[in-house]
Parts: sequence; structure tokens; C-alpha cells
Amino acid sequence: MTTDETAPATDQGAPTPAAPVKRARDEVFIEFTKSICPICKTPVDAQVNIREGKVYLRKRCTEHGPFEALVYGDAEEYLSSARFNKPGTIPLVFQTEVKDGCPSDCGLCPEHKQHACLGIIEVNTGCNLDCPICFADSGHQADGYSITHAQCASMLDVFVASEGEPEVVMFSGGEPTIHQHILDFIDLAQARPIKNVTLNTNGIRLASDKRFVAELGERNQVPGKSVNIYLQFDGFDERTHREIRGRDLRKLKQKALDNCAEAGLTVTLVAAVERGLNEHELGPIITFGIDHPAVRSVAFQPVTHSGRHVAFDPLNRLTNPDVIKLITEQRPAWFQKGDFFPVPCCFPTCRSVTYLIVNGEPGNRTVLPIPRLLQVEDYLDYVTNRVMPDAGIREALEKLWSASAFMGTETTQEKLRATAQALDCADACGIDLPSAVKDLGDKAFMIVVQDFQDPYTLNVKQLMKCCVEEITPDGRLIPFCAYNSVGYREQIRAQMSGVPVAGVVPNALPLANRLTDTAYGSKTVRSAQTAAEYEQGPR
Amino acid sequence: MTAPDESTRLPAAAGDELKACCAAAYSSDVVALLLGDSYHPGGTALTRRLTGHLALTDASRVLDVASGRGTTALLLADAFGVCVDGVDYSPANAALAQGAAAAVGLAERVTFTTGDAEHLPFPDGVFDAVVCECALCTFPDKVQAAAEFARVLRPGGRVGIADVTAASDRLPPELTGLGARIACIADARSPAEYAEILAAAGLLTIHTERHDAAMTRMIDQIEARLNLLRMTAAARLDDAGVDLAAAPAVLAASRAAVADGTLGYTLLIAEKSP
Repeated sequence: MTTDETAPATDQGAPTPAAPVKRARDEVFIEFTKSICPICKTPVDAQVNIREGKVYLRKRCTEHGPFEALVYGDAEEYLSSARFNKPGTIPLVFQTEVKDGCPSDCGLCPEHKQHACLGIIEVNTGCNLDCPICFADSGHQADGYSITHAQCASMLDVFVASEGEPEVVMFSGGEPTIHQHILDFIDLAQARPIKNVTLNTNGIRLASDKRFVAELGERNQVPGKSVNIYLQFDGFDERTHREIRGRDLRKLKQKALDNCAEAGLTVTLVAAVERGLNEHELGPIITFGIDHPAVRSVAFQPVTHSGRHVAFDPLNRLTNPDVIKLITEQRPAWFQKGDFFPVPCCFPTCRSVTYLIVNGEPGNRTVLPIPRLLQVEDYLDYVTNRVMPDAGIREALEKLWSASAFMGTETTQEKLRATAQALDCADACGIDLPSAVKDLGDKAFMIVVQDFQDPYTLNVKQLMKCCVEEITPDGRLIPFCAYNSVGYREQIRAQMSGVPVAGVVPNALPLANRLTDTAYGSKTVRSAQTAAEYEQGPR
Repeated sequence: MTAPDESTRLPAAAGDELKACCAAAYSSDVVALLLGDSYHPGGTALTRRLTGHLALTDASRVLDVASGRGTTALLLADAFGVCVDGVDYSPANAALAQGAAAAVGLAERVTFTTGDAEHLPFPDGVFDAVVCECALCTFPDKVQAAAEFARVLRPGGRVGIADVTAASDRLPPELTGLGARIACIADARSPAEYAEILAAAGLLTIHTERHDAAMTRMIDQIEARLNLLRMTAAARLDDAGVDLAAAPAVLAASRAAVADGTLGYTLLIAEKSP
């Protein structure tokens, strides 16, 4: 011990052995869960810890080592949102059996905790863009696939069998508008008891093909049904367009929106948000959306680090509280902390939503977040508040704070009206508020913040209650984040196209020297592992 | 500080006059107008916190004074398993609350009555606890109300009060005028004054805690609802005597008063001597 440099010398100069001192950990351990190795996708144990007010998920693969990622930027809200967790609803049927456990049995397996609020059908892998950021790894690719009428019909049937009367199906891709039968697919959906169709598009065809937009507009007029547009829209800087989409699409986006307005289509602007790229454009996107007649909502999604994306730091990624903070900072006159509320149908940390009531002219708006008008938390607290005088208000708020809520649907409109009626002051002041606000629906605007999980951040606790499912051609409903993270996407693409598909690994900075490009521009592990190994799909 | 017996105990005639005036004022009180008359800051989370201090068992009988639409009474019966009597000045509220109790299957344990907090329609010593949320500040004769709380409590029973508190001598002019009758501030007292009023009735304050953030939240909510009414019914708001032009100054003064501690929201737990 005489050579131990840390041993303090005594006043007498004689060295004494240092007594070992126990140190405190620098983090609070809050969850033991499961995740996957982001490289080989093997399920592994994981732990969730709080450090310096933020929440991190850490795990270790026996073969590939340790991994850690930021999963929630506000530890206090992560913990307090646990109360806003609605008991799940059991779907009418499950498609798979429990065999190897989550996340290997998708899906939905009988252990899944929630039904599908939203079903997604990817109609193709091809796209008329080759974006540097695309979780689906789509593009001008000769070896992809497109689904047929029969496949689409059977996928819709699977959804109906599971849900009865599904609220909404989303057609996505690839780029669904370049599928030659996309209008037929919408008809197939409308011929079933599916209330609403959402079309997830980059808008290129909407900008250039007015006849197509008119066809969508007609289908939006079918009684009891709606067709709404989910338009990729990342910002206004040329750099944003070039770095995220590879092309300056600004004029096309404007034209697409104007054509939608003309055809009476309701649009959600969907922004993929990445650190250092477009995180400064959130406020301007909201303002633009409020001012454009076709736009009734904005969805902000931190870039999903699945598929193709730019290099990122897993410890400094954007999470829901970070996005909300940016929104608040960029529009301080409109937003403050507390204006967004977690969505209880999925895991409350997955998605946060607010509704605004907007009045006045562009440049002179009054913007009123609905959570400031009533105590949403009193109605959506499922742990402590079991009875309440106004069950109708809870039901209305549940439908609004849901993954199936889309502006332009009858349900969302109706529940906004019901919520307005909850703001009851008629007794006191003689102002009949419900009738005064009956047309407020036209002034309502929705903002969604959704941080999808990736192979780094995946937590089966959240996955098990996911309510956004990919409907696969082989008749499964696979939670969206499992589909993109665990290897199901690669599995389905290989099955459908007959071409081997490499297992995609996040383009994370700590993995940089272990990665190499796939055929589609995403990354895979640089090793002797063959594509054939990945074809077997999730382990 | 003025002695409570001088500031709150009024000659009978003046008291009646004030009560009539207050009833009228309350009916056009901005808070009631905007938030509904059963609103209270902090919501059910603060109600639970308050209730946690009342030493309830499932054999307890609790009185909720100014029970509004019944939210608190139902929560108490459901979460704490107690029997609850709610009393409210408004027959409409009592009827709505009774209907809500029936709807959630709690009608056997929860009863709502119409009545005056200063003359509670219950015999002496029948309750194990009394709760009164955001209402004492609106009662013109607070001493009489406190005496009534004490009368209906059994010896050793507790009263839980959640209320707006104000250091009345430090309130800015925007918050003292009749025209700015926001949030019952005009007649709110400091925690110490409330404790004195309770002590005069034989109720010893054993615990107080401040929840001023609930007050800020209420001010935000008032502002939001004012904006909503400005959008939907500006003319009728005007008819109801709400001066929209004055609102921003009053709201700003309220926020500043919360920030410097002049205005706040406080829980007080007091016990009747055994």
C-alpha cells in the first residue's frame, strides 16, 4: 500500500492505508426491462436510469457489448405520467401465439396490452424520392415490392377481424401515391367498416396531379367516411430539404397543400425532426400550418433511427419533452410547460398531444391550448381517479388524446365539441358556451409529438402497449416500433421481394467503425454475418 | 393585522345585507363565471393530499362544505371508503351531484343536501371530518362558518381547508377593487388569519402547507377561458359586466402577487380538542 498515490499522508508524514470509501452511484435505477441488441437484435435485459434529470435506457449484448440511449428528456414527467395510463382494450382476435416472448412473437400476441388504434398498410417499397432520412429504407429501387388488390383486401380484413370497426387505417410505403392501385385500395377500405383513411405522402403527386387530388376529395365526401392527408413537411430552409429529403421540395409542398385546400382535404403536416438540422423550424411549421386553410394539425416526430438516417448521438437525441421545450421556446406567446398532455392509450411516454383553439387573423392570432381550459389530468388519471361526476368528459378527452385521433375525422370533431361543452359556465353567467363554441371545431388545431422507438431505445414495456400497428401481407399486426427495430421490416421485405435483406443497424456514432452500407443506403454491421442470417427475421 | 372578531363578525343586519350582496357578487364573480362554481385549484390531486391529513378510516363520516358538482365527495367515498354528506348553497348543484353519485353506484354512501355553510343542516358532533375547498374565502361570516364546522365535528375530529390565501394589507390595488373581484381574492385571508378564525371556534391548526403553483394554474385557466369567451361571446361577456380591457392588468398583478408570496393557495388541517 505504500505506493498507493491516493493514500493521504498524515501530519506526521507516515503514510497510512486509505480506508476504502463507498461511492454513491450517479444515477437512479427505476426500471428493469427488456430491449434488443441494436446490432444483432437479440433480446437482452435492459435497465432504465435517471441521470441529471433525464431518462436513459442501458443494455448489454453478450456478443456486441454495452449500449445506452437517452429515452426521455424530463425525468420528472417520465415518472409523473405513469398515472395517465389507460387500461388497454383487448382486440377481438390475436394473430400469433406467445412462444419466445416480447418482442419476438409479433403480433399481436395474446400478451399484447392494447388493441390497434391505428393500422398501417405499406403498399410498396418504391418511392419517387431517395431521402437521406427514411425509416422504411425506400427509394428508386428495382428489387422492392408492391402489394396486390388481393393482398390489400386481406390485410384490411385482418384489421377488421381484430378491431370490428376500425377508426382509421393509414396507407403508407414507400410512397403510396405512386402505387397504381392506391385509389382502389382506398375504395377497399371504404367498402369495409373502417371509418377513416389517412394517406401518408411526400406530396409530389398531390402537387402535380390535380385529378388524383380531386379523386381523393371525392372519397373524402363519402358519408360517414373521410380521407385525410398526412404530408411529410420538415421545414422551410433549403438546407432542411436537402439534408432530410435530398431535394428542395418547397414549391412542391406549397402546391400540394393548395391543391388539397381546393379539394377540401384536411392535412396534417408531419415533420421529421433531427438535432442540428431543423429543430429551429418547429415554431414556423406550426404558424404556417395554422395559417394554411388545408392544414388542421402538425405532427412532430424525432427522426426514427431505424432504416436510413444521418449519423446521430444516442445520448443526445431528441425526445418528446425536448421537442415540446423547443416548441415552447419558439412560440412563447402561445405555449408554456404543461400545454401538452401524454396520450393514455399507448404508453404515456410515447406520444404527447395538445389541441389549440385559434382565433384572429394571420399575424395577430390568439392561440389557446385546451389543457389550459380544463384540468385534463383530473380526467385522464387512471390510477387514482376511478369515479367522477362527468364520465362523458373523460370519454371525449380519451378519444382526443388517442393515436386514432386525426383532424378531419368525424370522431375527433365530435369529441372536440363534447369537450367544449365541458367548459360549462352557463349557470353562472348566462352565456351558453356550448352553443357559442359549436363552430369552434373549425378553429381547432392539433399538435402531436411522437418519439418512435428504434433499436437503441426500444423498451418492451412500451412496446407491449403500442397501439400503432403495421398490418403485414402475411396477416399480422406488428407494433410499429417492433416492425422498424426488431427485424420484422427486413423479414417482410425479403419474403415479399424474394431478395435477401440485410439487418439494419442504427447509424449511431458509437457504432461508426462497426458499420457498412446496405444496398438501400441504411447501415448494417460490418462482419462475416451474411444477409441470409438476417433473413430468418427476429430471433 | 386586525383582530378577527372585529373584521369578520358583523352586526346581524349588515351581515345579511352583505350575504345578499355577496350572493349577487358571487353569481357574477369572474372565477365562478369562467371556471364554474365547483372549481377549485389543484384539482383532485390536491384533494387527495388534503384528505390524507384527515386520519380517515372506512368507518368515518365526512362533510364536504360547498360540495359543488360532487367531485370531491365521490372521490372521498370511492378512494377512502368513507360516507360523505355534501352540502351546497345551490340546489341545482346538489341535484346534479346526487345524480352523479347514483350513476357511479355510490348513492348509498354519498348524500347531497342544499344548505348554508353558516347554518349547517346537521346535528352536533356527527362528523369525523369536514372538508371545505376554495369556499371559506367566499363566506361573508367566516367566524360563524368556522363555528359551524366545529359544532358538527366530534371531539378530536379534523377539518381540512384548502383555500386562497392573501396578505390582504399587501395586495396591489388591482386586486382589491370590486371591479377586480377575481378568485375570491378580495376577501381572502392569510394562513395565520385563517388559523386564528379556526382557533376562535376551538379548532387548533396542526398542519399547513402552501401550494401556490395551483394558484398560478388557476390564473392561467382564467386567462384561457377569458380568451375563449372573447372569441365566442365578447358582446355577452360585456353585458355580464366583465371588463375585458381590464383583465390583462388584473391577471398580471395576480401572477406578480403569487410570485412574491402575497397571494397563494394553502392547505390547513385543524383539530377539534378531544
